[in-house]
Amino acid sequence: MDELLDQARSIYEGEIDFEGQRLAETISTILLSISGIVAFLTGFITQNIYQTLYIGLGGTALTFLVVVPQWPFFNRHPQPFLPPRTGRGALAEGISVEVDGKKVS
Amino acid sequence: MHSSLVRIQNVFGYFTSVAFAVAAAVAVSVLLSSQTPSASLELKNVQVVKGRPHYYSTKREEYAHVKFDLDADLTSLFNWNTKQIFMYITASYPSTSPSIPPPEAVIWDAIIPSDHAPFHPNTYIHPTSKTPSKSKSKNKSKGKPYPEGASPGIVKLSNQKPKYQITDFSGKIAERENATLSLHWNVQPWVGALVWTNTNSYGRWSGLKGGVDKFDFPSLKGSETIKKEDLKTETGAEKNRGSPA
Repeated sequence: MDELLDQARSIYEGEIDFEGQRLAETISTILLSISGIVAFLTGFITQNIYQTLYIGLGGTALTFLVVVPQWPFFNRHPQPFLPPRTGRGALAEGISVEVDGKKVS
Repeated sequence: MHSSLVRIQNVFGYFTSVAFAVAAAVAVSVLLSSQTPSASLELKNVQVVKGRPHYYSTKREEYAHVKFDLDADLTSLFNWNTKQIFMYITASYPSTSPSIPPPEAVIWDAIIPSDHAPFHPNTYIHPTSKTPSKSKSKNKSKGKPYPEGASPGIVKLSNQKPKYQITDFSGKIAERENATLSLHWNVQPWVGALVWTNTNSYGRWSGLKGGVDKFDFPSLKGSETIKKEDLKTETGAEKNRGSPA
């Protein structure tokens, strides 16, 4: 049951990795711009403004569909976490944290 | 762009920018389509009679009934961004005092929708030719705002009764001279600016040719010399006639 809820939460939040975020930004910009240009040109050539409206709205719907869900190609470069701490209040061996030149752990 | 919600916001935000840019391009693209409106407007008959502004009024005013012939070709005003055209005919005449602007009164108007505009009952219905059509299938073209076989913007009216009878605010309109009957229009676009009648040329847009006629208002006629049916006004030929909005 918990596993199922975790999956549902993951789909709802749809988190993607850093490379995926860059990719999503590029895709949304390009798709929306192209659909706007195509919508205008099609409407102008056919002299029918309804073509412009529906192509523009269709392109936007397509962009939402491509960019918003957590597609696998947005998660191809997962960022690994640091190794877990070994003990209470202590970091793993070999890692030291310095703040203003003072060693804090 | 890390979560779905942020991506939805980003895509929608950029969509609004694209939609605005496309709308602006559509509004400006109108300048590329050439316009050559032309019309011939002729006064057919004008009568001035006494009347009351409404049934219970005791005020007696002079009313002018202006009948006219109109042969207009405004098809070039219909480009891809035209939703409908509101066309109207005004009668204007010099005022009695230089400090008063010349009065201008609308005697007839019509809403001509483009072929792509959705149906609306308040659009104009062009009168059909007197000869009845042979087959009943032709009745499909009934209720169009332009004559059979034509396209939006063509209006051919002969001996058209006015829709509105006009009077001066002083109540006296008989024997006023140098009156002008003129055709005007508003082009209502899907997106962009409302365009009014232009008589000058701007780039690919040339101004209206014709559509003006000069006349004088006649002297007041005795009510016994005029038949009552001559003074009826056209109550309009819109589909919602008799069923107000």
